[in-house]
Amino acid sequence: MRETAPLPLDPRAVRLDASAAGRDDAIAQCGRALVEIGAVEPSYVEAMLERERSISTYVGEEVAIPHGTLAAKNVVRHDAICVLRFPGGVDWDGERVTVCVGIAARGDGHVRLLSELAQILMDPDRARALREADEVSEVVRLLHPTEEDQ
Amino acid sequence: MPERTVTIASRTGLHARPAKLFVQAAQAQGVPVRIRVGDGKPAPATSMLAVLALGAVHGTEVTLAAEGPGAEAALDSLAALLARDLDAEEASGG
Repeated sequence: MRETAPLPLDPRAVRLDASAAGRDDAIAQCGRALVEIGAVEPSYVEAMLERERSISTYVGEEVAIPHGTLAAKNVVRHDAICVLRFPGGVDWDGERVTVCVGIAARGDGHVRLLSELAQILMDPDRARALREADEVSEVVRLLHPTEEDQ
Repeated sequence: MPERTVTIASRTGLHARPAKLFVQAAQAQGVPVRIRVGDGKPAPATSMLAVLALGAVHGTEVTLAAEGPGAEAALDSLAALLARDLDAEEASGG
């Protein structure tokens, strides 16, 4: 009924051991990771901060999913996600966040991305594996579930 | 069980922001409400991850269901929320 496809995660946009001074710093780092892989223009970073001020992107399981506002869609070059882990934790409006999945998507693309990601995080084993993976390749594999995994 | 079927009005679907507003409203209801797409598996409307996992885009029909005292009012209120373009409210209200 629902289309499934791999989440567009470039291994260069995975950081296992980041640290941030706070929520906004963590979001800016996610934005820069998306800029570095050419997925968005630099102005997308400010749009991510603006979105977060409007409403928190915390989704549970110590995970937040910062992304830009609707108005910023025109500075997205291609759909992409990044994964930044903050083992020391980031205070996210009172919630503890250790994994940030930054999202850039054009059109309705983000709804599918969020759906894929939410299904992974709803499985407590996979959510824990995402928090604890020791290798970038493990994170990439977790977010690219094969048929047998589902 | 009382149900309401409603079409998602938000331009970009039931994603992060409209989903969060919906989940917060569901949590404020006195009765547990479940949400499903078509004949899909009902999910708790109070779970952000479960609501995001539905993958409901603009125009998707979702069905809300609840039982017990206050169920009808809760369903009316949540259905009315989904029938609004919550993204437009962001654009105008900041």
